[in-house]
Amino acid sequence: MVPYEYYLVLSGLLMVLGFVGVIVRKNIIALLISTELMLNSVNIAFVAFDMKLNDVAGQVFVFFILTIAAAEAAIGLGLIMAIYRMKKDVDVTKIAELKG
Amino acid sequence: MDLSVVAFWILSAVAVISAFGVVFFKNIIYAVLSLISVLIAISGLFFNLGAELIGALQILIYAVAIVVFYVLVISTVPEYKGEAVDPKYALLSAPFGFMLFMELAFVSIYGLWKSGTGIFMPQVVQEVSNAKAVAVILFTKYLFPFEVASLILLVAMIGAIVLGKKDIVED
Repeated sequence: MVPYEYYLVLSGLLMVLGFVGVIVRKNIIALLISTELMLNSVNIAFVAFDMKLNDVAGQVFVFFILTIAAAEAAIGLGLIMAIYRMKKDVDVTKIAELKG
Repeated sequence: MDLSVVAFWILSAVAVISAFGVVFFKNIIYAVLSLISVLIAISGLFFNLGAELIGALQILIYAVAIVVFYVLVISTVPEYKGEAVDPKYALLSAPFGFMLFMELAFVSIYGLWKSGTGIFMPQVVQEVSNAKAVAVILFTKYLFPFEVASLILLVAMIGAIVLGKKDIVED
C-alpha cells in the first residue's frame, strides 16, 4: 500500500498548481478551470485522510464538494456569458471597472 | 512491487503532468482536455484508495457534466487572442505557491496528529461495502446538509437561467 503522505503531497502539488493558474492566467475561463483543479486537490486530501483514519465522513464532504462545484460552474459560466455579451471580451485585465 | 503502488505512481504522474497542461496551455480547448485527463486520473486514485462511490461520482459529475458546461461556453465565446500567461505575475506566483505548499504540509501533519479516528472499524467497512458505509453516514448524520445541497443546486439552476437571459444584459 502507498503511504497516505504521498497522496497528501500530490494533493498539495495540485493545489499549488491551481493557485498558480489563478494568479497567472488572463483568460477568465482558464481561471475557473484552475479553481476546479484546486477543488479536486481538496477531494484527494479528504479521501486520503479517510483511509488513514478509517472514517467515511470525508467522503461525504467530497460529495458536497461535487455538488458545490456543479453549482459554481453553472453560476460562474453564466456570469462569464453575461460579461462576454456586455464587454465582448474574456480578458481579466480589460474587466476593471471596479478598480479604484 | 504491489499493483496499487504502480497504479498510484502512474495515475499521479498523469495527474500532475496534465495539471501543468491546464495551467500553461494557451489554447483553452487543450486546457479543458487536460482537465478531463486530471479528473479521470484522480478518479482512478479514488478507486485505488478504496473509495468506489466517490470515484464513480467523480467521473459522472466532474468529468462528464461539469466539463460539458465548459465546452459549451467555450464554443460560444470566440477564440482568445491575447497571451496565455501574464509575465508580470508569473515570477510572483512562485514564492506564494511555495508558501501555500508549506502551509498545507504543516496543517495536514498537525491536523492529523490532533484528530481522532472515525466511527467505523475497518472490518465493518470491509464487510459492508464502501458505498453502503458512506450512504449510511450521508443519510443519517449529514441528512440536513444533504437537503441544503439540493436547495443550493436549485438556486444555482435558477440563477444560471436568469443570468443567461439575453434581454436583462442588453437593457
